[in-house]
Formats: sequence, C-alpha cells, structure tokens
Amino acid sequence: MAEPKRGKDIKEEEFFAFGKSYLSEAFPNPQRIGCPPDSELTSMAEHPNEAAHSIVSQHLTCCSPCFNRYMELLAELKKRKTE
Amino acid sequence: MAGVGPSTSFRISPVDRRGRKIDPAVLAAAEEIIPRAVSHGMKLLGDLAVIANLLEEAAAVVSRRLQSDPSLILNLPGYLLVCFVKKVNRVKRRQVVTVSLSEAVLPKVAWADPSGQLYTKILFDEFLARCDFITRDMASLRMAGYSWAEIGRVHGMSAHSAEERVRYVFQQVRGKLKI
Repeated sequence: MAEPKRGKDIKEEEFFAFGKSYLSEAFPNPQRIGCPPDSELTSMAEHPNEAAHSIVSQHLTCCSPCFNRYMELLAELKKRKTE
Repeated sequence: MAGVGPSTSFRISPVDRRGRKIDPAVLAAAEEIIPRAVSHGMKLLGDLAVIANLLEEAAAVVSRRLQSDPSLILNLPGYLLVCFVKKVNRVKRRQVVTVSLSEAVLPKVAWADPSGQLYTKILFDEFLARCDFITRDMASLRMAGYSWAEIGRVHGMSAHSAEERVRYVFQQVRGKLKI
C-alpha cells in the first residue's frame, strides 16, 4: 500500500486540487438547506466583501452545490476579464 | 449549560459548559441573535441542544475577545453570529460523510481515498477553519484556477502578498497538526 502523503510532501497545486474535489463532492445537500440565492453568490464573486458575504463564504465550505456554482461564477468572471 | 425548552428557543447561561464566563453584553447579543442562530443551526445540524452549546461556546470566546478588543462592542451581535456560524460549520464538516464502497475504491475520487488523502483532508479541514474571509476567498479563487496576480488584483494587493497570506495559514495549520 502506498504511504499516505504527509504535510511536507503536499504541494500547493495538489492541496487546492484536492480541496476543489473535496468541497465539490463531499457535501451534497440535496435539499439545498441554508443555500443563499444565486444573486448573493454572484455578488460575492464580483465584489467579495466580508461584511456582506461572511455567512455565504462559510456556507460554501459545507455545501457542494453552492461551492460548484461559485466555482462556475468565478470561472465565468475570469473568462470575461481576459476577453 | 443552556436551558432548552420545548419550542425552537432556549436560554443562554452566563457560564458555558466549560465553565467560561459570558460577558453580560455578549449575553444580551446572544439573546438577540437566537432566532437567526436557531434557524441556521437547525438547517445544518438539526439539534437544538447542540446549537445552544455552540452558541454558548461562541459567546464565551467573544467575551474573552471583548476584553482584549473593546471596539467589538460596536457590532457585537454580528461578530457573535459569525463566530457561531463558524462553529456550526466546523461541527457540520466533522460529521461523518457516508461514501459508497465503489467511490471509496475508485482512486479518481480524491477526497474519498482513505489512505493517500488522509493527511490532506485533515489539513484542508483545519485550513478552512483557520482562514479568515479574505484568505478563504483567495483559496476559492485559487481552486477556480486564478493566478496569484489575479487573486492579488481582486483583493487589492500584490501577487506575492496574496500568495504569502494563504501560505502563512497553511504553514500555521501544518505546524499545529505536525503533519
């Protein structure tokens, strides 16, 4: 069996790739409990602000559908900025 | 210890379950946010007793913080609510996630690989718990494929500062967990 990776062996890219995979699948939340409206996710993607989006940001760490939607919005925004 | 009534409300005790005192101003703020706290906590955890304990713990933490930073009094309910939400989410993240056997044996599901990703999962959970709003958003941007320069622009700082801010939390977590 392969040795588990220790912290010092974990590269940044690998760490965030893992994080993305983990957050996008580990918290299915099929009933969409506690999910913010799409407009709040959009607003946070465009102008992240602690006072306005603190709770939404926390929610993203335990809701895969919202996390995936936020990733989509960030990708769209990145695309728009590079065009 | 909090007194949990039959309804969806409860009373906050001036001392949390670990015996830490709660400042009267924080106690008043806690009473004020109970409806929102219960609403949020019930959606995620569904257990009023756990929610009451978490709110007391958050109140005790904020009471201690208030002693060192009296300016918190300006938005005590807001600060307390954020502290409470963090605690709820932390408990939620630590709840057992059931994984089907087929997922567990498929190496393509990185987070479900029980051996290779064990330390990464522990590190990542602790990393999220330690991040403030900006650092967490920077991590999200990184996960969405942004460069450090782009992340820096979003948050009004240099690429180097952005990278160092995230790296600092990562190193702190690694140091704390010694992995």
